[in-house]
Amino acid sequence: MDFLSNRWINNLIVCWFFIGVSCNSVEKKIYVHLNYTVPCVRLLNATHQIGCQSSLSGNVGVLHVLESEGDLDWVLRSGPNPPYMVILEPPLFNRSIMMKLKNSSGRVAGVAAVAINTNPPPDFSPHNTCPNENTGVYSENYDPALAHCNKTVWNPLGNGLSYEEYDFPIFSLNDDNDTQVIRQCYWDHNRAVNGSTPQYPLCAMQLYSHMSAVTDTATCMRRNDINFSISPEVVCDPLGDFNVWASSKPLNNTAKGHKMGESVVIAAARLDSRSFFFDIAPGAESAVSGFVTLLAAVHALHNATQEAPPNRTILYTFFQGETFDYIGSSRMVYDMENKQFPVDLDNVHSVLEIGQVGFAAGSGLWLHSDPVSRRNSSVNDTVKDLISNLRSAAADLNVSVDEPRVSQPLPPSSFQRFLRARPIPGVVIEDHQSQFTNSFYESMYDNAEYLNISYSPDLTPEKQLETVTDTAKALTDVATMVAQALYKQAGGAESQLSSIKADALIVTQMLYGFLVKSNNSWFQQLVSSELMGHLNDRPPNLYVGVTQQSSVPTLLVQHLLANLTGSAINITQDDCQNQREDKDDKENKHMYSYLWVQGVAPPNNTTREGFCVRSTVRLSKALSPAFDLQQYTSQDYSTWTESRWKTIKGRIFLVASHELEMFTLGVGVSILLMSLLLTYIISLKADILFSSGREPTNATY
Amino acid sequence: MNLERLPNEEKLSLCRKYYLGGFAFLPFLWLVNVVWFFQEAFLKPTYTEQLQIKTYVKRSALGLVLWVTVLTTWITIFQHFRAQWGAVGDYLSFTIPLGIP
Amino acid sequence: MTASVFFGCTFIAFGPAIALFLFTIAREPLRVIFLIAGAFFWLVSLLLSSLVWFISVQISNKDSAAQQKGLLIFGVVLSVLLQETFRFAYYKLLKKANEGLLALSQEETMPISIRQLAYVSGLGFGFMSGAFSVVNILADSVGPGTVGIHGDSQHYFLSSAFMTMAIILLHMFWGVVFFDACEKQRWWAVAAVVISHLVVSCLTFQNPEYVGSLVPTYIIMFLMGVWAFYSAGGSLRNLRLCLSCIDKDFLLANHRPR
Repeated sequence: MDFLSNRWINNLIVCWFFIGVSCNSVEKKIYVHLNYTVPCVRLLNATHQIGCQSSLSGNVGVLHVLESEGDLDWVLRSGPNPPYMVILEPPLFNRSIMMKLKNSSGRVAGVAAVAINTNPPPDFSPHNTCPNENTGVYSENYDPALAHCNKTVWNPLGNGLSYEEYDFPIFSLNDDNDTQVIRQCYWDHNRAVNGSTPQYPLCAMQLYSHMSAVTDTATCMRRNDINFSISPEVVCDPLGDFNVWASSKPLNNTAKGHKMGESVVIAAARLDSRSFFFDIAPGAESAVSGFVTLLAAVHALHNATQEAPPNRTILYTFFQGETFDYIGSSRMVYDMENKQFPVDLDNVHSVLEIGQVGFAAGSGLWLHSDPVSRRNSSVNDTVKDLISNLRSAAADLNVSVDEPRVSQPLPPSSFQRFLRARPIPGVVIEDHQSQFTNSFYESMYDNAEYLNISYSPDLTPEKQLETVTDTAKALTDVATMVAQALYKQAGGAESQLSSIKADALIVTQMLYGFLVKSNNSWFQQLVSSELMGHLNDRPPNLYVGVTQQSSVPTLLVQHLLANLTGSAINITQDDCQNQREDKDDKENKHMYSYLWVQGVAPPNNTTREGFCVRSTVRLSKALSPAFDLQQYTSQDYSTWTESRWKTIKGRIFLVASHELEMFTLGVGVSILLMSLLLTYIISLKADILFSSGREPTNATY
Repeated sequence: MNLERLPNEEKLSLCRKYYLGGFAFLPFLWLVNVVWFFQEAFLKPTYTEQLQIKTYVKRSALGLVLWVTVLTTWITIFQHFRAQWGAVGDYLSFTIPLGIP
Repeated sequence: MTASVFFGCTFIAFGPAIALFLFTIAREPLRVIFLIAGAFFWLVSLLLSSLVWFISVQISNKDSAAQQKGLLIFGVVLSVLLQETFRFAYYKLLKKANEGLLALSQEETMPISIRQLAYVSGLGFGFMSGAFSVVNILADSVGPGTVGIHGDSQHYFLSSAFMTMAIILLHMFWGVVFFDACEKQRWWAVAAVVISHLVVSCLTFQNPEYVGSLVPTYIIMFLMGVWAFYSAGGSLRNLRLCLSCIDKDFLLANHRPR
């Protein structure tokens, strides 16, 4: 739009004022807003703050597209117009460059990393080398030799970028158009042609990500509670969500604590992941592979556990927030210890956890167990049983199963939190012997492509949904193995084993829903109408988030689990949502939970025919006990909180040279002074100047 | 109110009221007293009540200076050490700045 | 940093108007009242023209560029005509008000002459129209960005400020000439004011060729200024007299200390 006319702008202002739409054409001439950016946000724990923040009014810097590491000198030393806003291509987003930028003492205003979906670098893990180092079972007291990943460094590729603190904003540019506009603006205005300094006006960028919380969790929780100021403000929220669990036979959920004569086998998987940036956490290998396998195993076990129930109950648990010092599992163990859960630790017979299994076909499966608790012979016997069950189940399948060295500790896993409470026999299934096979652990590249889940582009979404990928086939085998082993471990009849088979179609559909598009026809019919609104054409974000907002993956797993293990019953929507089967039913809600799902629309009709699903699926709080106990400096429990913020946005624009600005001011001041002087003189002489008219004295001026 | 139009006795009583009022932790009354009565006390030709007014103005000024010093010292100390004091600093603050230790 | 641009542009746009207000208007309450009333009249004219604009935009075809351009020209012309109509209405009102004032006051002469009224009301018009044309530009001049990412000239703020200054001064001159013409019933002069106003407004269609709009505007402003000077009772002789007496004063001032 051009500067057309003063009156034109007047008209527009008044017009827009009437319509009530705020739209400013001058603002549009100056700024280009970035459409889809993802910030890195500030997280806090008992001792540290990590992540990024901008100043309250946003950080402004001249754009510089970093082309190579050698180019860094321009940003850090030689460039004449600091501070710089550095645009990083994916291969350059690494520790050495980020650390140099971090220690640049004010020459860096911020960093924007270009996100790519194809051809990622060969490896990138912004996580620690030893995930959840201090909250697992391997402390100095448990076994000094195994503490702090002394024996095995699980994630040697981890560069720890996610756990650094930056005093400038870091954004991920996820929109190709944004990236293109930024590059173009840089090329047009900022590019130094063979050594010369670029001329003003220069292209600059402003990033807003001001974080309210600071220092550590104790400080921010204390500030949350101080509310005698005029506008008390919450500055941070604990990370957390809900665990999802179900049991192979209904357990009375109202009677908490020890259940006499009950013995449960826990089958566990984790639900969450993270990456350097706030809401991109695909977690394909690190979380999805495990919980999809467990979901498929649950489905496979459904018929057998109904027709020939084994002696022991199988408890399927999906832990949320495990990335941040085992929030979900530590809470469930805490609840079991404090009689807040339908069973307690005495009821637990053994634990089978499914970790990262996405590469089972290539690297085989490894059955990890804890060497310390296995020194106890009874524990050792149960572990051996479990391993032999798994081995025998695998024998008929296309899966190779092996055990790592006996002295090797457990990889990072929820099971460690159970061991921390007491020596419980258990096995963790992983696709790696020692260090992770996953070279993108907790990064944005741990996505569908990395698991080789790709579809030919000419397939419709419906066809893609039904295409059984190789990864799905491999995971189906793992699920079958897990299901059979669980059934045997629970004391089920041998005769049933052959009927326990996981369904490859369901596995591939789940992988599609969690890694490609959550908004697909299969998910749509299995979820409630409220959850339907949260489905979109991207994979769901597996970052656990704060307790106030329910996380979409949790609810998706809850609904999937209910549909895969429950049964449709013919009751009204009202009764279903009130957790009862008819008006006078007060008993069933203790044993079952009821979910109203959308169902499918019959042909030539658009309204879906919803129905009620009765299942044993429950949600249990996954909030770290540290927040219930108000021990914000706890060594035992997760203390992670997420800072609140007000605006997250980025925009690019040109900045004028200092000379032009000063020139404008100079012209303004001199015009003001000159007109003051002139008017003063004229008003003094007005009598003489305007005296010839007919009117007497003191004319206009 | 125009001091010019006031009889001298009332000036004195007004000045005394302001002076005494300042003791109720209201240093701004002393400030007003000093500014308002400065001319009366030091620049006007002498009259009987002036001596008394002078005393009040001087004392108000002294009290004001005391207040200013104490407040400035406290504010400087508080601003400088608030972050280090941690919890105490937070409980002493009325509004806590966001995103700053 | 970019606060300097904000203050620079403000001083350019409103510097002369502020100076005039300070030295010739602020001291006399009656003039302040008439200035604000003048500004109010301009506002009412803007309200009417924006209402018409709002309705016509709703009716028009939003996809047709030619129609939108035509609508824009129509809007500008209508707005100018409305402003001049309101100037006339204000003139009529002031005549009435002046009679009333004369009746109230004990003295024989009017408390404020019609020439003074012309100047004051013109400046009132100028203040308001200047404020409306530049305020949202000023708001964005605070930064951190400057115009130009879409290829516009970076002298946008500067030229807008200069344009606003011209508009304010022009409104003042138009006021003087217009009222004088009405007093003397010289309708061709009224027409000249309206036409020059139209021309200046349409010159802004030249933008973003800022030179193409600013130079003619300043030429028109200069001519209108001379005209206004004459119709306010000034003459070359007076000017010469004035300049010479400045010299005299100057000499006197230099002599006195001795």
